[in-house]
Amino acid sequence: MYATTHPRDYPACSGCSLCRLVCPMWRHRRDPRFSPEGIAKARQNGAGVTELADVLDACTLCGACDPVCPEDIALSDMIMDLRRELELPPDLAVLQVGYEQAAARATPAPAGALLLPGTALRADPPLLAQVAVLLGLRSAEDDGADLAVALEIGGDIELQRKRRFLAAIDGRSLVVGDGLLLRALRRWLPGARLQGLGEALGNLPAIRRRITSADFYVVEARAFHADHARLVAHYDALRKDRGCTMNLDLQRIAMPPRASAYPGLRMGPARDDLEQARWLLQGRRPARIVVEDAAERELLRRVTDVPVLHLAELAALNEELHHA
Amino acid sequence: MLIPPVVPGTVGPCPVAPDALKGIVRQQTNPARWNGGGWDAYVAELRAAGVEVAESMATRGIFATDAGGTAYGMPHGVVVARSTAQVAALLKAAQAHRVPVTVRGGGLTTEGESVAYGGVLLDMTGMSRVLHVDADALTVRCEAGIYWHALAEELRRENLDYLSAPLNMTSSVGGTLGVGGIDVNSARLGCSADQAIALRVVTPTGDIVECSDSENAELFQRVILGYGQFGVITEVTLRVRPYTPLRMHYYYYSSLRTAIEDLQLLDRNDASDYSGILTIMDCAVNLLVAFDSDEREAAFKATWEQRLRGYGEFGFALCMAGHYALRPWQIGEALYLLRRKQAVFPEFRRPEFHRDGRMDDRSVVFSRAVWKHWGSRNMVIPDLATSADRFVEAVERGNAVCRKYFRHYTLYCVGIKLRADHAPHYEMSCVPPGAEGWAYGCEFEPMIEGEVYSRDHFQSFKNAIYDIGVDMGASYYRFGGMMKGYIRRVFGDALVDRHLAMKRQADPAMILNRDVIF
Repeated sequence: MYATTHPRDYPACSGCSLCRLVCPMWRHRRDPRFSPEGIAKARQNGAGVTELADVLDACTLCGACDPVCPEDIALSDMIMDLRRELELPPDLAVLQVGYEQAAARATPAPAGALLLPGTALRADPPLLAQVAVLLGLRSAEDDGADLAVALEIGGDIELQRKRRFLAAIDGRSLVVGDGLLLRALRRWLPGARLQGLGEALGNLPAIRRRITSADFYVVEARAFHADHARLVAHYDALRKDRGCTMNLDLQRIAMPPRASAYPGLRMGPARDDLEQARWLLQGRRPARIVVEDAAERELLRRVTDVPVLHLAELAALNEELHHA
Repeated sequence: MLIPPVVPGTVGPCPVAPDALKGIVRQQTNPARWNGGGWDAYVAELRAAGVEVAESMATRGIFATDAGGTAYGMPHGVVVARSTAQVAALLKAAQAHRVPVTVRGGGLTTEGESVAYGGVLLDMTGMSRVLHVDADALTVRCEAGIYWHALAEELRRENLDYLSAPLNMTSSVGGTLGVGGIDVNSARLGCSADQAIALRVVTPTGDIVECSDSENAELFQRVILGYGQFGVITEVTLRVRPYTPLRMHYYYYSSLRTAIEDLQLLDRNDASDYSGILTIMDCAVNLLVAFDSDEREAAFKATWEQRLRGYGEFGFALCMAGHYALRPWQIGEALYLLRRKQAVFPEFRRPEFHRDGRMDDRSVVFSRAVWKHWGSRNMVIPDLATSADRFVEAVERGNAVCRKYFRHYTLYCVGIKLRADHAPHYEMSCVPPGAEGWAYGCEFEPMIEGEVYSRDHFQSFKNAIYDIGVDMGASYYRFGGMMKGYIRRVFGDALVDRHLAMKRQADPAMILNRDVIF
């Protein structure tokens, strides 16, 4: 590392290419421009945001590049900041507005620990109900979905809206379904007790004991990389305890099953996603796939014949067996 | 100053070559930038053939330098390799238009060998897929731009592993085969280039040729360890092996000589599966020894461990404490050792990369540590490669040079088992002439630590190391690019002229990887 000043930004990139190894955007295109390194190097050589628009628009924001950067550059932040200078994707800007309006109509959050489910889980009400019961948490009607979309697309976040949202959840224990929002909340609420959905469910004995050595366990990449130093130990312990294989690469970085930008915000998986999901399963022969992200369940079901279950559904299996 | 025109197919006079500056302190600089004549017509021909040529500053800037960070140059355009046929079309057109082609894999050269001083830069990482794994025959066919790490990633799903590869995750397979590739198991399994069974190569004139020891063997011999002079490797068949995690042991020495003697003792007797030396300082030398199986480890413990003169970590700490207690004026050195140990050692022991006391993947552990604790904007790593019997002398002389130039530096030493049947591959390569059985290499890497050094300082340091090689009749891993002034001095005119004649025949316009060697 050649300097230790913070915050570390694109000038610190030495071009080691380690971020390419874990980048789904690069893996899919194999083009040096489509990688965090490519963006940083282009910026070092005077490229403006317009010149980089295609690349910025292709990033999945999985966050895999952040923990591998030996220069500790906040690469995802760099990309998110640059995205804010781009024109918003119109369909997703509309989506953000819709979520904002829904948040304005939401009833106040119930007291105590909360579940902020996020759009993917909210799209499957029975699964959401099951998760809430398993975790023993009430689900917040205003789960910050508009803020998550804004973070993703580089949209504006009104200060008042952000304050209102944070005031409603500050000081509580939170389980957050959206990995990008979880990452932001770690900064916005540094003292809060925050957990991703995968970690919270995976710690429940009723679920954990149902994970087997024949499972391929798909860690949700954004939540994992947002707190990598801590969670790598959590998942390593899970892997050793249950003997399952995981979508963690040799560097213990989560390889997401999706490779397209704005995952989960647009209808149906893109061709890139299907190709990435197939690659993820290539050479593996699991009896079952277990996912933390409900949206990834639907994607993986399209590329494999083996059962694909959400983590919460393992507990239901438990109950079924018990009743039987 | 009148600069005479250069006849195509010949090497022009170099105004900064060592022998061109009589009476002047020697310095190497970037090669002259190509003047761009014929570029537009070349690009037009490529585009007509459907090849994308990126000419924006944003794209070219990605390749402005290499891992060394001391050589800077800009290509006129960048082509991302997509297929063997595309590479062939690119080279054919380059011959016709006399456009220099610089081929780049991981870009981990340190002397500007993968930096383009004009012309087209061909980025091989666009061809980086695993094509076929044959678990029964223990071979893999892959595209040459693949990173070793990406290859390991896919092999591991079949419970397989490559044999040996550089301890750097972003080295590419093709680039490595062109120069050698050293791992901590090279004393047993040879260099990475010796794993190659067959290649698909595009010659400098754009012909696509399959080659191996039995098919087009002469091209195979020239391309392997050929520093990219005789063709572009686009596909590779490599030997692989069943994956095994490894059990690592560390022994600590205060003497380089003793550590090297012990390293060579182990190598000579096939006492370990992995061996190498990594220093923090020349008084804190780490001999690493590792094993693929319990049986090999047990045999080592029974027969060889007691013959090693190194200490365990605790014993060495006591030894060092005693040493510095008697030399309080060296407290700064002691504190540096302590700081370095606290920073680096945990990196080698991270629990997520170990299971039941075994290291899952050595290249991940070492490469992470290398980039985090040794990497910087400048990576200057001159090296010496000698026969086994002259290695101690070479390292001790190189160490004295390091002491003169830098406060802190690291040495990395490893043995390379040589294959008698591959002697033709080794000609004019990092394998020193006269080495039999094993060659040994040592890298001398200064710790930059946020300091700013001039290129002249780095160059003088490299020259001082390389002068030792000339004096000892050794060789180097990194003799191309900015260090090519040493090629004739170390290999001799007869050998270099023979290779130059072969190069002229293979590459009439001398366009492929110009200024790396020729």
